[in-house]
Formats: sequence, C-alpha cells, structure tokens
Amino acid sequence: MIGPALALARVKLVLELRRREVVFAMLLFVAATIVIVHFALRADAGAGERAAAGMLWAAIVFTAVLGLLRSFAAEAEAGALDALLLAPVDRASIWLGTALAQFGFLVAVEVVAVPVWWLLFFQEGGPDPVPLIAALVLADVGIALVGTLAAALALGARTRDVLLPVLVLPLVIPIVLAGVTATYAAFGEEGGGFGPIGPLGFLALYDLVFLALAWGTSEHLLGD
Amino acid sequence: MQAPAVTLEECSKRFGERLALRKATLAVEPGETVVLLGPNGAGKSTLLRLAAGLLRPTAGRALIDGTPAVDAPRALRARMAYAGHASQLYRGLTARENLALHARLHGRDLELDRLLADVGLADRADERIDGFSRGMLQRLALARATGHDPALLLLDEPASGLDADGRALLDRALLDGRDRRTQLVASHDADLPQRLGARAIRLDAGRLA
Repeated sequence: MIGPALALARVKLVLELRRREVVFAMLLFVAATIVIVHFALRADAGAGERAAAGMLWAAIVFTAVLGLLRSFAAEAEAGALDALLLAPVDRASIWLGTALAQFGFLVAVEVVAVPVWWLLFFQEGGPDPVPLIAALVLADVGIALVGTLAAALALGARTRDVLLPVLVLPLVIPIVLAGVTATYAAFGEEGGGFGPIGPLGFLALYDLVFLALAWGTSEHLLGD
Repeated sequence: MQAPAVTLEECSKRFGERLALRKATLAVEPGETVVLLGPNGAGKSTLLRLAAGLLRPTAGRALIDGTPAVDAPRALRARMAYAGHASQLYRGLTARENLALHARLHGRDLELDRLLADVGLADRADERIDGFSRGMLQRLALARATGHDPALLLLDEPASGLDADGRALLDRALLDGRDRRTQLVASHDADLPQRLGARAIRLDAGRLA
C-alpha cells in the first residue's frame, strides 16, 4: 500500500511544482489573513500572545480547507480517478497518497507563513520554536488525514465546495484547541499542567485514531 | 488463465429522475468480443461503467466472472482495463510519466518506449499532455488500457477523435486481443463488428435490443 501511495503523492507534488495552483493560492490566503488580523488587532510585541496563537491556528485551518478543496482536482480533470479505482491497489493508498500530498502542501505553506506571523507579532521574544513546530507537524498530519477523508466523502456531491468545509471544520476543532494550547505552553503559559507535552500527546493520539479510522473506511468511501 | 466473463442480470441504473439503463441482461463469454452500438444517450457508457464496477446498479447485478463488478478484488482488477470518454490521464504529466504511473500502480515493469511507439507517440513521449490533441490523448489512453495486457478490456467510443491511422491502430489492437481477452466496446461505427468479426448488440433508450 505504501508504494502506490508514495507514487501518487509524488505525482501530485510534481503537478503542483509544474502548475503552482494549490500552494500559491494557499500562501496568498494565509499571508493575507495573518497581515489583516495583525493590523486589525494592532498587536504590539508580546501584548497579544493569545490572540496571535489563536489567529495562527485559525489561519492554518482555513488555508488547509482551501488546499483540500483541490485535493482530487487533478483526478477530476480527466477522469483519472476511474483509473485509480480500477488499479489493483488497496484503495486506501489513494487516500493516503492524497493525504501525503496535502501534508506536503501544508508544510510548504507554513515554512513561509509561520516566519511572517512571527515577524509581525513578535519583534522580540516569541514562543519556544520546538513545541510550536512539533504541534504544527502533528496538526498537519491530522488535518491531512481527516481532510482528505472528508474530501473523498464529498467527492461525488454536486455541492462539494460547500460540503467539504462543513465536514472538515467540526472535525478539526480538537486540532485547533490542542494546537492553541501547545502554543500557549510554548510561550511558557499553562498547557494543561504538563507544558506542551499534554496537547502534543493529544495531537499524536488524534492522528493515530483518525489514521486507523480513515484507513478502515477509505476503501468504501472511494469505492462508492 | 481464462479471460473473464461479463454478465449483466436485469441491470438498471437510475440517475435522479432519469433511468439510463433498463433491466439490461447481457452475457459476454470469456474471450468474446462484443460491440455495443446505439445513438448518443442510449446508455452505452452507463452499461460499460456498470460492467467495470465504476457504478453500482440501482437494480439487478453486474458481474465479472460471477463476482459483483463493484466489489472486484485486486487480483481481478489487475486483469482488466477500462477506457472511457475522459482520457483518465493526468494532464500535467508527460505521456511517459502517465504510463509509468500506470505501470507502478499495476506493479508491472512495462516497456514504456515500446508502448509509446506502438501508438505512434514515441517522439512526443516526454511532452506534457496538456497540449495533446483529442486523438493523441485517445492513442495514449489506448496504450494505458492495453499496456498491461488485460484479460478484460472495456472501451467506450475509443475511436472518438482518432484519425484514419489511429482508427487502423485501434482495429489492430482489438483484432490482436480477439480470442485472447474478453472485449466489450461501445461504438458509433456500425461497421466495427464486421471488421472485428464480433457480436453486435444494439442499445436504445436504455434498453438492449
């Protein structure tokens, strides 16, 4: 299953490098969101840590939805999904390959977006980068796994552009809560009494649960 | 291994209010070639997609070797191919990259250069297919569908967009597969059954004649 998933993820990343349709749009959106909220809050250095943490996670989640809306676009373009469904591979590998590509897109966006957020909100100081990066990576895994599953579920719907955010956003609320809590803890604030370990552990558990859930259901979701 | 049989038993498919296929019963024997003729909107594409397992019947059954087509296991999917109206290719990849992905998904080490040469695309192998004409996409789709030498080949209007050379190429591919594989081809070409020595079946307004 891993081999076909990696092959599919590679195709999607190659297509993105050539066409620059998804990541570029995501980058513009997340950068615009961070800049607009920065000026809306008139954040001074260190004054709005909680607001800054919250807005970072909100921006990431909405940007992820933007990418997820295009997660099966290449397949829809010329019926390539039919070829994938008829290929002698575990259909979960189609979901996993797409999720891996989405994870890659999110990481690429955050490599640019997080430094911009940092520069705008924290001219001095800022959160401890290690727990913040760990939270972002774990959250990206969860968003990619759950979001791609929801995208597969919405694939056949005529109103999928509306349906997908409706499906995804409630499912990723726990990720936002854990991410924000981990970010507070990275500032040295409370993190459920365990510093960032608690929310990071929750994110890892969330990823494992949804990995198992999505693995078990993607065969039927994509098959139908 | 014997080529698989395709069977439709009282198979119907409804899309909303429209009944695209009405109680179709059809048996394609192993190694048989059947050409499905009929006007636009007759239900040919629906029938082929049901036979491929890409659609679930509203009523009745579509079977491949006795197994419901929608539940075809991996081993069976490895022995079949379907080419529909859409090319089923990735537009941003080159012709060679598309076939390489197909080979990878089928776990096969295919001779990509030979496959591309067979359909007259050797000199365009490393071009992205965004710029390919409809006929070139059809040729590449044919290479993809036949590349792994499937035992069951389902083709939906494969001559669409092909020039005279392309149509001759398609005829050769279908003649080459005759007796060796089960072939079900939807076409507007009324002469095709005669050229292939195949059984012809007419479909009109969702009903098999």
